[in-house]
Amino acid sequence: MAQNISPEQSGAGGSSKHNDDSLPIKDNHAVSKRLHKELMNLMMANEKGISAFPDGENIFKWVGTIAGPINTVYSSQTYRLSLDFPNSYPYAAPVVKFLTPCFHPNVDLQGAICLDILKDKWSALYDVRTILLSIQSLLGEPNNESPLNAQAAMMWNDQNEYKKYLDAFYEKHKDT
Amino acid sequence: MCDLNELWLNVLKIFPILGGEVTFPPDPIKDEVFENVYRQMSNMGIAKTITSILDMEVESAIRNVLVPKFWKHFISEGEPHKVKHDMNIAAFTDTNALFFTFIYAIDELYDAYQCLEMIKPRLFYLNQSANSTSNLNTKITLHNALLAQLPPSFNNFVCDFYCVHFRLFTKDSTLSLNTLDSEVFTELPCSGCNVDLDQCCCQKLTEMVNATNMKLLKMGLIDRLAGSALTALIKVKIKEHINDTCVGIFDRSHLKQLETWINDVVMIWLTSIFTEWKSRDDISQEKIPKSVQAFKVKLTYFMYETFAQNVISQFFSIIIDYPDSSPAIDDLKICMEKIDMRVYLTESLRSSLEARILHPGVNTMDILTGYVAAIKAIRHLDNTGVILEIVTAPIKDYLRKRTDTVRRVVTGLTEEGPTDLSEELAKGEFIKFGKDSHLNEFSDWETWEPDPFGIDPDVLKLNSSKLIRSADIISMVVDIYGSKELFMVEYRNLMADRLLSQLDFNSEKEIRNLELLKIRFGESLLHSCEVMLKDVTDSKRINSHIHGDGNCDESPLFNISSLIISAQFWPSFNKESLQLPEELENEFKKFTKAYESYKGNRTLNWRTVTGRVNIVIEIGERILEMTVPPTQAVIIYHFQHKSEWSIEELSSLIKVPPSALRRRISFWQNHGLIAEIEPGIFALLEKESEKTQFEEVSITDADEEDLESAMASASDQREEELQVFWSYIVGMLTNLDCMPIDRIHQMLKLFASHSGGVEFTQEELKHFLQRKVREHKLLFSGGVYQLAK
Amino acid sequence: MKVTIKSWTGVASWRWIANDENCGICRMSFESTCPECALPGDDCPLVWGVCSHCFHMHCIVKWLNLQQLNKQCPMCRQSWKFNIH
Repeated sequence: MAQNISPEQSGAGGSSKHNDDSLPIKDNHAVSKRLHKELMNLMMANEKGISAFPDGENIFKWVGTIAGPINTVYSSQTYRLSLDFPNSYPYAAPVVKFLTPCFHPNVDLQGAICLDILKDKWSALYDVRTILLSIQSLLGEPNNESPLNAQAAMMWNDQNEYKKYLDAFYEKHKDT
Repeated sequence: MCDLNELWLNVLKIFPILGGEVTFPPDPIKDEVFENVYRQMSNMGIAKTITSILDMEVESAIRNVLVPKFWKHFISEGEPHKVKHDMNIAAFTDTNALFFTFIYAIDELYDAYQCLEMIKPRLFYLNQSANSTSNLNTKITLHNALLAQLPPSFNNFVCDFYCVHFRLFTKDSTLSLNTLDSEVFTELPCSGCNVDLDQCCCQKLTEMVNATNMKLLKMGLIDRLAGSALTALIKVKIKEHINDTCVGIFDRSHLKQLETWINDVVMIWLTSIFTEWKSRDDISQEKIPKSVQAFKVKLTYFMYETFAQNVISQFFSIIIDYPDSSPAIDDLKICMEKIDMRVYLTESLRSSLEARILHPGVNTMDILTGYVAAIKAIRHLDNTGVILEIVTAPIKDYLRKRTDTVRRVVTGLTEEGPTDLSEELAKGEFIKFGKDSHLNEFSDWETWEPDPFGIDPDVLKLNSSKLIRSADIISMVVDIYGSKELFMVEYRNLMADRLLSQLDFNSEKEIRNLELLKIRFGESLLHSCEVMLKDVTDSKRINSHIHGDGNCDESPLFNISSLIISAQFWPSFNKESLQLPEELENEFKKFTKAYESYKGNRTLNWRTVTGRVNIVIEIGERILEMTVPPTQAVIIYHFQHKSEWSIEELSSLIKVPPSALRRRISFWQNHGLIAEIEPGIFALLEKESEKTQFEEVSITDADEEDLESAMASASDQREEELQVFWSYIVGMLTNLDCMPIDRIHQMLKLFASHSGGVEFTQEELKHFLQRKVREHKLLFSGGVYQLAK
Repeated sequence: MKVTIKSWTGVASWRWIANDENCGICRMSFESTCPECALPGDDCPLVWGVCSHCFHMHCIVKWLNLQQLNKQCPMCRQSWKFNIH
């Protein structure tokens, strides 16, 4: 399973190059070709609990939707995410963020996610579907060793308290 | 005191009208009688009174006697006037009663008029010595009185009269026009008087007609009384002339001829009516009077209008004859610069096109031919393309509903055909250069043209895309479908069929066509076709490699060559199958092996049902050699070792469904080799039946079989496509919540139609979404759709 | 009756002998091309790693060139070596 690491960590060292659009623009066609193909597979597979679609005319910006995994504190929630694909996709990972506020040890208040496969463990074989599935499972199985949200990491052990806090959190952010 | 009685008698002599007499010619009066009467009258101081009385009497005579009498001729339906004339014109008289009534009435009126006119000098004489003035103006009084009582039927008389007048006048010019066959001509009646030539009375008639016209002229009545009838008559004559000389002739211009005719015939005739009679030649030198000039403007306009209507009513034939008919179109162009007829043109053309080609009886190729011809002809008329858009819209709508349209267009593009589309395609190279100049209207201002006048601005707005307007014929044809993608998909399907069925196809020509299409439609749409053609050339190389290098079995059962395709780039095949007998299959395995060793890591999947097999059948005394599709070959092959098969048995052996198998067997039944001896049981016929002629077995039979496309048809995939669209719609609504229809449509276009020519109009989409709303899969409110929870 | 087949013109489609259908990197079918190429087959071949995974040659080369440190198979993360048959 994918392991999470903090975005600060990944900022250091060689892996920082991953998200650079270091490839020439002419690759756009190849990238959009792959994205079209992914979209088609995603649409045809119609998988329960995850979905994504381009946000507008630009195929490089998508909106994703994941359902909180069942049998976890997140089970009744639905989360929106944004996916920004670089010109070097799939050789570099997309930038994925929560749009819906998410109280989770590995997600910060701006929606940034700490997940290894989006950083140095990225592989060209990953796609929108596997990314969304990984994030979905991260919700139920956080990595509390390197939290982005220390409060969430601390509270995680008491799932009942955590659930109560979560409900209050969502009540507060209902409108956003 | 003088004798009053004598004086009154003398006054009556001078002015018979005072006694109620209107006679002509009046009695001559001796000068001394005049002087005597005038002197006495002025002595008595009654000159003034007499003048007034005379004025009144004249007016009353005109109103109450002359005019009613004149009109009576035309109102009474009774006996027409028999005029004493030569026997010569008796025949003419019988058929021209109106004509003679008119002449008689005018004669009578003129006499009376002259009599009244006589009064004038006498009155003048009287007044000169008596210092009093007369208000008398006989002409005007007559005009007014006549007009005040004008009966409606009068125009017919005038018309009849001038009709004869015109016929007599133009006798010579009609002669020159019609004397094509002098033999026939002598048997016809005289074109002037309509009487047999040997009794021709033209001379007599001309004299009469001119005399009467002169009388009318002198009374100043032509303009007042005959004006409108004359105009109507000339219009009829113009129509007749156009019908006689222009109808059905499109390969030369008529306008010059018509203008000349108006000038040399109509105008001169009119001049002859409005001026004192002279011989024709003199008239042409005469300066045309003003009244006639005014006519000319009106009549020329009318001539153009009539001619243009005439051309427009025949425009369908003009389209069909184009480009031979371009002089007619040029004529119409000139007319349309003078007269606004666009609306009339578009209406008329639309309805004639609908009536002539847009019905089930016309085959698609002919409609296309008509469409292309219409494009060319109408372009010639109006290069802005606006008329074209309006006129051809119904054709496009209609063609879109025909299922074979794309196929026909593609056939037309790639084969020499009646639509000349292939010729148009070849022009493509040259068009390319001009294309960019249309992109920027501003840089092109010098050649800018305004939209044509007289077209509904709403229509213009609809068609305002410059690109469409400047599009060439190919684009116009492809435009029938609204999408070049769909068109290209069909092109690819047809190309696949062609490459698979005519294995000896003309690759050079295909490549040339492809290059031309690429110029027009862009590389990406034709990428598949390019790969397909490359497969064909690669296959040739691979075949010769496998055969050449001793790579193959030294003694093969038969020679295999294969078209090796890149399946991803070909249209999907239909699902037909065919199981080969083992010994045959082994040959293919050998070929596959050879291929594998030639192209490392690659292998072949055989599509056994497609291809062609050259076989020799030895049966009894006969030897048949023929080329058949694989299924037929395998069927007859199996009859070698077992001469009787049930359909089920054979079907399960070669894996062809019974219904399809039955169809294939019928091929051999038609050739007299196999017969259905009892239902479902087929047996080989070893003996030649009498009627079948094996020697003439034509390969075309086999070809026809092959023409059944090996590809899955486009319409079969429609429901599947809709399902794909639905997945996309669910996907976008899941992530983007709610959307209006145009955004959904746009998203589908952008993302769902990527993989090849899937087209979905907004209208179709609306129906589809509404269906989903009814099925409770979607909610629709406030103009946006969202998923039902 | 005797039927002799003199010649047979058939139709076959070629395919790569691989244990998957699509290139994991570009997601295109192996029998299609990588996004950079126009013509399939000889011009856009497959390559195999010793780990037995295969990709369009152009796709895997590009992936390897972008790996800063250890060049791994994107599928199994074993270090990549071309399997030359």
